[in-house]
Amino acid sequence: MFVLVVGGGKVGYYLSKELIESGHEVVLMEKDRGRADQITDEIGSVVVAHDGCEGKYLGEAGCARADIVAAVTGDDEDNLVICQMAKHHFDVRRTIARVNNPKNEALFRHLGVDEIISPTRMILASIEQDIPVHELLHLAALGEGELEIIEAHLQDGSPAIGRAPGDLTMPPGCSLFAVVRDGVATPLLPDMTLRVGDKVIAIGPSDCSASLHEQLIGDNPEAVTPGL
Amino acid sequence: MSELIAPAFRRAVIALAGGPGDARIVRLVAELAKPSHAELAAVHVVEIGWSLPLDADVAGQSDRVQQILDAAEAVTEEMKVPLDAVLLQARDVGAALVDEAMERDADLLVLGLPYRKRFGGDFAIGRTIPYVLKNAPCAVWVVREPKAEGQP
Repeated sequence: MFVLVVGGGKVGYYLSKELIESGHEVVLMEKDRGRADQITDEIGSVVVAHDGCEGKYLGEAGCARADIVAAVTGDDEDNLVICQMAKHHFDVRRTIARVNNPKNEALFRHLGVDEIISPTRMILASIEQDIPVHELLHLAALGEGELEIIEAHLQDGSPAIGRAPGDLTMPPGCSLFAVVRDGVATPLLPDMTLRVGDKVIAIGPSDCSASLHEQLIGDNPEAVTPGL
Repeated sequence: MSELIAPAFRRAVIALAGGPGDARIVRLVAELAKPSHAELAAVHVVEIGWSLPLDADVAGQSDRVQQILDAAEAVTEEMKVPLDAVLLQARDVGAALVDEAMERDADLLVLGLPYRKRFGGDFAIGRTIPYVLKNAPCAVWVVREPKAEGQP
């Protein structure tokens, strides 16, 4: 497989190195000549010392025959431009972009980047999982990012305690589908009574968090994790 | 006066640039190789841009490339010294020469350097020779061609 990596920072460097060791054909674009020379010394003549944001140089680097283009520079703007050109000008089958600011994820998806990798989002999710949160926990995004899987940890004071899921008023497009009780996950049935300590798993539009919070967590200030 | 004795080598790789200096270098190395029956390989590297796969049939269809290899062989045939003339396609000439020297376990790599001044200013050494000097595991000889008539 021929992979074009744009951005010779730590991510691009180690990505290229691993791909080469796996037997793939790799070219790495790095616009800083000094850094490009340094990488060449370390992993060989696979570096094109030009700016990947310029179509001419993307072409010279073999973008038109690349199976995958991975834009992993430190600038979201650059990564978006690179993936756009690769996708629409060079007809590359698969584009992957590093997104540093999670707020840009929706834009990247909207503009047709095939896969986005958000280190910030990943670290954030990891931190959230390790903290005993009373808040809603965003577990994963689905589809093009318009849907999310959300976990609600029911605590004392939750308006859902002692009620059945069918009695709760869910936001439009949102549904509760499972409960984790005593470490065991089971489908959530309409007549089941919710208890303190239950972790309720919901799926719904990404903008339903506020309504879900109101129904499952309540407005009790103690139920809100400070500082997050 | 003591006779000048050439350093011994067992196996040498000669880089063919495709210029008029090739014959001079091949003759020089062949003369030095003849007494000790050292093995000689002449390599011409065609650089392939990233827009093409490395195994694209580029150099094989070129008469010019064949002429470069034939010219080197003609020199050594005349001197009755065996020569293995090969064509390589690579992304970078310097890296290809170093790899070839390593693969053949050569103890000498010889390159020619045309005498060119960039825009009438600095003498231009290019990027292949510095790369080879920095990375080759064996001895490297750089044979600079004479200044042309009228050059300062």
